[in-house]
Amino acid sequence: MNSPIADLSYRNYDGPLSAPGFRWWVVAKTMMGMAIKKRGFWVWATMGAYWYFILLVMFYFMDTLTGGQINLMKQVIWPDQFVNAFSLAQIVLFSLALLIGIGSISNDRRANALLVYLGKPCSKADYLFGKWVGICLPISIVAAVPAVLFYFYCLMSYRTYGVIGQDMFLLPKILLASFVPGFFHASLCLGISSLFDQGRLAGGAYAGIYFISNLITKAIQVAYIISEHPHGRHSVGTPNPSLANAYYFAVDGIQIGLAKIIFQSDGGQLIVGSPKGGNGAIPIPSIGFILPVYFGICAAAIWIAYVRVRPVEVIS
Amino acid sequence: MITLTGASKWYGQVIGINDITCEIGPGITALLGMNGAGKSTLMKLVTGQLRPTTGDVKVLGMDPFANPEVYKEVGYCPEIDRFYERRTGRQFVNFLARISGMSAADAKRRTEEVLEIVGMSDRASKPIASYSKGMRQRIKLAQAMLLDPKIILLDEPLNGLDPVGRRELIDLLAWLAGQGRTVLVSSHILYEVEQMTRSLLLLHRGRLLATGDLKVIRSLIDKYPHKVRIETDDAKRLAGIITEFPNIVSLRFGIDGVLDLEVREPDIFYRNLNKAILDKNLPVNGFQSPDNNLEAVFSYLVER
Amino acid sequence: MAVASLHQLTVKYGDFVALDDFTVDISEGCVGLLGPNGAGKTTLIKTLLGFLTPTAGSGSVLGTDLSDWRRIRQLVGYMPEQDCHIPGMSGVAFVAYAGELAGMPKEQALRRAHEVLEYCGLGEARYRNVETYSTGMRQRIKLAQAIVHGPKLLLLDEPTNGLDPAGRVEMLELVREVSHGKGLSVLVCSHLLPDIEKTCDEALVILRGKLREQGLIKNLKKVDGHPVEVELGEPSPEFETMIVQAGMPVIHRKLATYRLESPGSPQEALHRVLATAAKLDLSVRGFHVAERSLEEAFLEAIN
Repeated sequence: MNSPIADLSYRNYDGPLSAPGFRWWVVAKTMMGMAIKKRGFWVWATMGAYWYFILLVMFYFMDTLTGGQINLMKQVIWPDQFVNAFSLAQIVLFSLALLIGIGSISNDRRANALLVYLGKPCSKADYLFGKWVGICLPISIVAAVPAVLFYFYCLMSYRTYGVIGQDMFLLPKILLASFVPGFFHASLCLGISSLFDQGRLAGGAYAGIYFISNLITKAIQVAYIISEHPHGRHSVGTPNPSLANAYYFAVDGIQIGLAKIIFQSDGGQLIVGSPKGGNGAIPIPSIGFILPVYFGICAAAIWIAYVRVRPVEVIS
Repeated sequence: MITLTGASKWYGQVIGINDITCEIGPGITALLGMNGAGKSTLMKLVTGQLRPTTGDVKVLGMDPFANPEVYKEVGYCPEIDRFYERRTGRQFVNFLARISGMSAADAKRRTEEVLEIVGMSDRASKPIASYSKGMRQRIKLAQAMLLDPKIILLDEPLNGLDPVGRRELIDLLAWLAGQGRTVLVSSHILYEVEQMTRSLLLLHRGRLLATGDLKVIRSLIDKYPHKVRIETDDAKRLAGIITEFPNIVSLRFGIDGVLDLEVREPDIFYRNLNKAILDKNLPVNGFQSPDNNLEAVFSYLVER
Repeated sequence: MAVASLHQLTVKYGDFVALDDFTVDISEGCVGLLGPNGAGKTTLIKTLLGFLTPTAGSGSVLGTDLSDWRRIRQLVGYMPEQDCHIPGMSGVAFVAYAGELAGMPKEQALRRAHEVLEYCGLGEARYRNVETYSTGMRQRIKLAQAIVHGPKLLLLDEPTNGLDPAGRVEMLELVREVSHGKGLSVLVCSHLLPDIEKTCDEALVILRGKLREQGLIKNLKKVDGHPVEVELGEPSPEFETMIVQAGMPVIHRKLATYRLESPGSPQEALHRVLATAAKLDLSVRGFHVAERSLEEAFLEAIN
């Protein structure tokens, strides 16, 4: 530029451009950036760890106040603790999904944002996958971080009580289980969100599905506790195996089922006490039943989103 | 027909219109202004949907607020475009006719009449959801015509219409005005207004900025001298002659033998120019005033 | 060179044929796309962007085949007709995000976003949430997001819709400026033909999925013969009779403007008109070779 006066009128952009393969990451990154700016996100993320705090306190007192022959810590079944913590965090993770995920497509539909996305070199797949990752990753991280921290705390403090001894692969299992809710909520959020033009309606619909299906879970849980025969946890007086399977027909139930499969534990021991005491633990579902249902639902939800997300209205 | 006397309307602390005094007579009057200038507020005051905070609004000598006597004489096409989408245009108009208090037979007859007027008779049996913007606008106009009102108000009726639809609607409005009705049309597309009427009502930030005939308004704007552009084969000679005229404010040589002038008292200037061209046989190819149009007048007034 | 060329292209929505055996070469510069509702204007734009797959025919945009939509969208900026934004974002974040979606690195996208917002005349409002914007600001931000990645072709669908006179003038100036001498071609679709007239050099007229007319706007506006337009202060029936006697038949009159058949050169016609007016003591306030407006030309083309 030789002229002492710069030309500030419109000019072209000739700067660098990134490879087209990672456009979905831009979408995901922006979505997560917007999620963590919400105050509610941090509230729920902290709430997600509540059960670990309770365990922390309980174990501390059990370790210091009891000892010798009656050391309660010796009775702790570690995989059960994680299954329970995981089950009890469900409602929090669901709330988080409502907060960050359910409006993802419906709000975009309301604002015609899709025209912006698709007007750029960014495909429908980029858009959907980006949104999916943007929901899946935060939820998974919120599920994983307290669990992993708790695991390492226990490893350091209570190794002698079988943290490793009971299950060598507890840590990878924790990580794997943490992705179960993220994957499921992300898929369902996209599917449900794409059916509505307002985030609030989509949220209402998802909450409806969650709580009605949750009612089934709770009803069966109650039925189990009532009908349970106190004869050891693997020989519960299972009244009806199909009833047990029905427990898993819920937004949270199916994830709990998958977690039970991953940990190979039915979560019968709540904090401490004999697993034979009978906490109404529902047996581990069969993997051949849960896995297809889980992935089937996820795939169906993503397919709905894929069909519903269109740059042009079809004129009939 | 419509008289406003010192009418103001405030929404809480937000300005609607501020101290407007004017009269609107028969024929088409255009209501102009930027977004938020108070056009819709004025329409709502006239149709009796709002009551002025201070001042008076009279329609046919009556207070329009919540006054069914006035409603009978006023047809209103609102800007918003909401219908019962699944009903047909005919059902919609008929329904409104019944609401207006007509008997079933009367409503049916009148519905057909107004649909005929707006040219929708043949198309009114399809659901409104399938209508184009122009057809929706016609249905709105049809319902406004139901009671054969003396006054018709249309809020942004030409918005989003394609050129064909626009032309048809303008013709329709001209026809209505030709029957002696008062038609008040708001718009912010100035060239559309220019095709409809020269009678204006210009609002700016809630105040009435100008009212009356476009030409009169233009001649009253003293601050901006009248612009004249002359195309000639001999710009130098012409310029020499023109500088002798009185009231020339500026003269500029453009490219390709164009002279741009600014003059005061254009009547005298044109007389002199005409005479000079004839008497001295000047090689002039054409002359015209580039700012003798609504757009220029509007920007002169609003930027003041 | 043509910025886009389509060859025998057919696009359907189900059974409805939106573009029918459509062949066109769209030239560089600013081109207006005209047509009544449902003629296929938006379909054409959406086909160029690869939103719709043609059932027959072929085409290319900036030398890239229509099937390579990713590359096309890299080179093309699109300003949709509908109001659109990303929910929950400030103006500048929205435009920067649009840049990132087009592959700009984050820092570059933000820098460029500020640059184009400045250019589009969005001042401090850029830090506000887009949802609080007025219609005019929304149109500006739509333009900003369309040009943020430095496209070579800009597709504008009704850019002046809903704007008030001042906003309209500013938007048209922006469009005119980017489309002239900046290496950026523009295709504008609008119902407001004076807007097209002000910004574009060339126009395409589409009717029922077919190309009806294509040409320079100044050619479309030409009228057959050599009519002239004469503007008087007030309409005058005497003038009308006398000018006819002077050998200049009246084609039509609009208020005080007469369109007259001219016998020869404009200078000769002017002298006749002035002589006639002088006899009646009228002053002629305007005289020029008649052109039809683009609107007249358009209405004629589609009828």
